[in-house]
Amino acid sequence: MKRIYCKIEKCLACRSCEIACALAHSEYETLVDTLRDQKGVKPRVHVQFVDEEGTLRKVRALAIQCRHCDEPLCAQACISGGIKKDEETGEIIVRLDKCVGCWSCIMVCPTGAISKNENMHQALKCDNCPDKEIPSCIVACPTHALIQEEYDSPQNHEN
Amino acid sequence: MNFLIIGNSAASTSAIEAIRKHDSTSSIVQLSDEEFPLYSRCLLSYYISNTIKKETLLYRSKDFHREMNVELYTGKDFYATRLDVEKKEVICKNNRAFSFDRLLICTGSSPRIPNSIDEGIEGIFAFRNIADAERILEKIPVTRTAVVMGGGLIGIKTALALNTAGIRTFVVARSNYILSQMIDPSSAQIVSDHLREQDIQIFFETDVSEVLTRNNKLAGVRLSDGKIIDCEILVAAKGVSPNTGLIDGTSILKDYGILTDAFMRTSNENIFAAGDVAQAFDIVLEKQAVNALWTSAVQQGRIAGLNMVGQKTSYNGAIGMNSLNIGNLSLISFGITHPIDDSQYKVLVNNQPQRNIYKKVVIGADNRIKGIILLGNNSNAGVLLSLIQRKTDVSLFEEELLDDRFNFGKLLKYGGESEMDRYYKGMY
Repeated sequence: MKRIYCKIEKCLACRSCEIACALAHSEYETLVDTLRDQKGVKPRVHVQFVDEEGTLRKVRALAIQCRHCDEPLCAQACISGGIKKDEETGEIIVRLDKCVGCWSCIMVCPTGAISKNENMHQALKCDNCPDKEIPSCIVACPTHALIQEEYDSPQNHEN
Repeated sequence: MNFLIIGNSAASTSAIEAIRKHDSTSSIVQLSDEEFPLYSRCLLSYYISNTIKKETLLYRSKDFHREMNVELYTGKDFYATRLDVEKKEVICKNNRAFSFDRLLICTGSSPRIPNSIDEGIEGIFAFRNIADAERILEKIPVTRTAVVMGGGLIGIKTALALNTAGIRTFVVARSNYILSQMIDPSSAQIVSDHLREQDIQIFFETDVSEVLTRNNKLAGVRLSDGKIIDCEILVAAKGVSPNTGLIDGTSILKDYGILTDAFMRTSNENIFAAGDVAQAFDIVLEKQAVNALWTSAVQQGRIAGLNMVGQKTSYNGAIGMNSLNIGNLSLISFGITHPIDDSQYKVLVNNQPQRNIYKKVVIGADNRIKGIILLGNNSNAGVLLSLIQRKTDVSLFEEELLDDRFNFGKLLKYGGESEMDRYYKGMY
């Protein structure tokens, strides 16, 4: 399946992807309204530092989102049966109507890609922006560090 | 091939899904002594606190068994009473016999009921299944005070649920700190303080010594120190023990639970076990242990199902793991968190009481993580768990493990090329 990857050498850790993601998943159209929201709008992509030393130009970071794992631990751990792998698309889907906010998925996610909406007791994670042609984090990335591709070998990722 | 599965919860469900992925034609017969459709036991505390509706308890769609082409028999009559290993059949309470080529035992576990407790008295409950939950729900409107026996995870979850339902709740713990199977005294202190803030009071180092009744109804309890608490509900949450009765009188080996190998196979080659009833390899303890956990049951059921259908797959092993929320305070723990002999371990702690953060990592002499407590900030819990699961040597970065900034990015840093490779290949 197609996954969103981050080219680490291109990521500036500017967090444009996080803002775009939060906005895309809020019910509002503007960033100001999104930030005022009380329900706890949060990004589903997380900028993480690989190295923290060095100047901004030398920093190594990546934007990590759900890997849509082949054997998803989150789905195995989910006590409500609300996380499932779509057999056709390969995507991991969280049914928010079933989620009780027990954080069992966060307990086991190997990349830490799931975040908590504590106000709504719901687990949030990347859904590949189902209504958009290109996921909003990719559109927002100023350095084109984010890509969505079918990856089978590391060579593909060079350049 | 005829598959027979005993039980209808986490392990059996993932076994069925694993079998059907590879085999759509073989017969699968399933027996369960519970009438209600497949539901999640872990959600029952959310149900009694009225946080979720009854239909949310359903773990899969109502049509799951039909879609999976499983012949399901439910109800007390289909309680599996006897296993005949020679004849390859299971006999139910109603004397019906079901034969099998391969059998999966997922009979789960049952609450340990102390001798002082008589479940025949109105108001006394062992909280395990949906029938218990319904009886507790009926009693809640006429209840002012409840007492929970047991300061373990089930006891605390039950107390939180009753508290949410508006009932004044007391916890009676035999140990001198709560959650002693899961965390250490320092973190337990923080949790206890939070429970007290929510008006849940805990009595330590004591037990219910006598149940006080009026007209065969619960009226109160007397604790070993003589204290009397008037209450209308008493819940026994003293842990669970595996339901191994089905293999009694057979040659199948058991210790505490039914012993299983890496393929979730019992000592009989055609008989498998998974879930709370199974004693399977534990990665941290490095021996077979019973981990009565939802996640372990799902994983073991899957492994059993795959091997039953001939897809040879071995189980990496279970790890003790739990997640608990007290209001907005989140607690996650893994493995050995409070070693008795800590001379064999290196223990690192990140304690920030003013931020309600307490993190601890227990590292073995082999530089592998044996246990973790993450109280407060734990969004990277699974990243740390992956280090336990993969038995990663953490000596290079152990000082960073409890840093709030320790995350997947750091795995890429310390894991080098092979970790980058895993990321780019999507090997998760």
